[in-house]
Amino acid sequence: MTRRSAHASTNQMLERTRDMGLKTIFDRYDAQQPQCGFGMQGVCCQLCSHGPCRITPKSPRAICGATADTIVARNFLKLEVHGAAAYSHHLEEVAKTLKATAEGKTPFTIGDEGKLKEVCKAVGIKGNSTKELAIALSDVILNELRKGSDDPLALVKIFAPKTRLEAWEKLGLIPGGVHSEIRDALTKTMSNITTDPVDLLLTTLRLAIATGYMGLVGTITLQDILLGTPQISEANADLGEIDPKKVNILAHGHVPLMATAVLQAAQTPEMIKLAKAAGAEGIDVLGSMCTGQELLQRSGHSAKGMGAQMGNWLAQEYIVATGAIDLVMMDMNCSIPGLKEVADRFHTELVSVDSILRMAGVDKNVDYAPEKAAEQAKELITMAIETYKKRGNDIVIPKNKAKGVVGFGVESILGALGGSLDPLLDVIKKGLIKGAVAVVGCTNNRNGHDSAGLQLMEELIKKDILVISAGCMSSAAQIEGMQDPVSAAKAGPGLRAVCEKLSIPPVLSFGSCVDIGRIGVLVTALADALNVDPSQLPVAASAPEYLEQKAVADGVFAVAFGLLTHLGPVPPVTGSPLVTQILTQDVEGLTGGKVLVELDMVKAADAIEAHIMTKRQGLGI
Amino acid sequence: MRKEVMIDASKCNGCLSCTVACSAAHIPSGDPLEALLTGEPSRIAVYSVHGKAVPITCRHCDEPACVNACMAGAMQKNAESGRVKNENTGHDCIGCWMCVMACPYGVINQREKEGRSVAVKCDGCVGRSVPACVESCPNGALTYGPVNEYAETKQRQAAASQVA
Repeated sequence: MTRRSAHASTNQMLERTRDMGLKTIFDRYDAQQPQCGFGMQGVCCQLCSHGPCRITPKSPRAICGATADTIVARNFLKLEVHGAAAYSHHLEEVAKTLKATAEGKTPFTIGDEGKLKEVCKAVGIKGNSTKELAIALSDVILNELRKGSDDPLALVKIFAPKTRLEAWEKLGLIPGGVHSEIRDALTKTMSNITTDPVDLLLTTLRLAIATGYMGLVGTITLQDILLGTPQISEANADLGEIDPKKVNILAHGHVPLMATAVLQAAQTPEMIKLAKAAGAEGIDVLGSMCTGQELLQRSGHSAKGMGAQMGNWLAQEYIVATGAIDLVMMDMNCSIPGLKEVADRFHTELVSVDSILRMAGVDKNVDYAPEKAAEQAKELITMAIETYKKRGNDIVIPKNKAKGVVGFGVESILGALGGSLDPLLDVIKKGLIKGAVAVVGCTNNRNGHDSAGLQLMEELIKKDILVISAGCMSSAAQIEGMQDPVSAAKAGPGLRAVCEKLSIPPVLSFGSCVDIGRIGVLVTALADALNVDPSQLPVAASAPEYLEQKAVADGVFAVAFGLLTHLGPVPPVTGSPLVTQILTQDVEGLTGGKVLVELDMVKAADAIEAHIMTKRQGLGI
Repeated sequence: MRKEVMIDASKCNGCLSCTVACSAAHIPSGDPLEALLTGEPSRIAVYSVHGKAVPITCRHCDEPACVNACMAGAMQKNAESGRVKNENTGHDCIGCWMCVMACPYGVINQREKEGRSVAVKCDGCVGRSVPACVESCPNGALTYGPVNEYAETKQRQAAASQVA
């Protein structure tokens, strides 16, 4: 049974690739069926040479004696470690760039001095100039990444709600330096070290808190300081926005540093002249995935001139299959191995711009270095122009286009509401808006490429529940017009009235997946304003199409933060009744949050609404 | 009483252990890694039907359509064991694929062997007390026993469900 995308443009390109005999992600998904039930349940262990061991009715223990509970919890923690590591890599790149920028060695300028001063004050950094503050803050962050696990993270102490700190301290969950936490977690998950499933799960909570306050909140804070805090602005999306007369560069991945440098350089007369000499009308930098979202929400300042957002993770092969993309600059994660096969069918050049990424078959790597970014940007654009010259006539661009409003966050919402969250709290108290749900994270084939995510968003807004998007779910909503203020018509009467009054859509884009940190900041601000714990708020999180390891870290962070966290795909834990019970029930007694697994999005929306109504009752509103 | 491979698809979780065990059982070393590396085909398959894994293999029919269709005489049903096979039967497969077309279950395939294309199918694991696929199944989806015993177990389950 072939699953389809929720987007017409993706489906059109899927048909095109099939007509060409090209196998893409939907075909590969089908070819992988049936998938092994032991892996899906998390009870397959491949750690030692005795393995692989599977826990089955015939063999309830692995050769070493490990139970399903141990194997499932250990596998789950290992997944999260990957996510935590990738987020720290992102933060490290941003911190190094901020420092180099302060030293005048990059093409960037500090984008938000106000936030720099505010954060430095909170962290206790003193300095006389922007330069001094930015260098000192970068050093503090780099040190926080590297310090020991016995040295509590400053950012947790500073930014977490007090009630959370109390809950976490009681459980021994205040983490130390992220790299050290990763080391400890990896050591614990080696064969024959930690086999207590409860300790392993507590470690996932601890590592998630480290990831939440460094990889998420730390990264967005430094990115805002460096590139500017997002502002509410208009955005265009979908494949119909591709201009075949331009040299097209796809900014693809998560770390928007090289992409910003390329976007800025692409607008210089020198580069435009070069493009025109090659026969093009100009240069477009198009957005893909989270790098695209980062540019989109800063198109008012550091990312001026940004082209449209093309799509999310699952769309990457189909964007290239238009035949009109000259260069894909791939940063950090989420570039799939299959992309190379599609790129080779066309003229498209794939280039890694992060030393961490080496794709099989790709031999061009321009590893981002803050001090060289200006030159590297020109090099990439020149490569794109050279590739443009080889572009053939086999181009099909779907007609689909969408527009919307992006750039939401605590600061831009405060700006729109006149400096206070009270108007938002008032409409929640009055019940016009029952609550808010962060619909975030990845997209996948299992859930029909955004089909589950979009269905959940529609069900929630019908119930007068405001949706906040981040990551791949932002693109999903943009392409289907859910971030266009006119989509308020799809919302229930209360939410619709609020949206129409403020000219905002019922699905607010908070940006990329790392911007889940931005949602954490908003929830913290709401909790502070009401003087309650986040777990008491009428809010929830959902990753209806979660896919990879960063999302595991995000999801566990939401649980640690005290939120009901809905997941669409069943996480690989069901082989352990104990782990399943802890994640879906018992953890609520510890953190106030828990996992809700529900594959039917109508039922999921009902369950989330019931949760929100209980929380409203608890607050007496 | 002759034994047969019986399938309870509801217990299959798609782990494909049976396919690896089948390939391994059909090479001299019996080593699963070598079987995977050399591409030894599996004679049992598992398909995803609306997301549910379903194993399918030769039923060793009493009046096999494949045997009737085989012009070379390679495909034969052994009267004693009841197994239907086309290897080491005294006649060589000539690769006409009549058996492939005739089989109502589609469980006969093509493979390359010693430079020729020949038909390949389940041989019932002649020489083993339990077929490799059944032995390897961790879920009890594949069982090996007299048909009447299987039927009786199923009857008892059905009977129990009447009063449950």
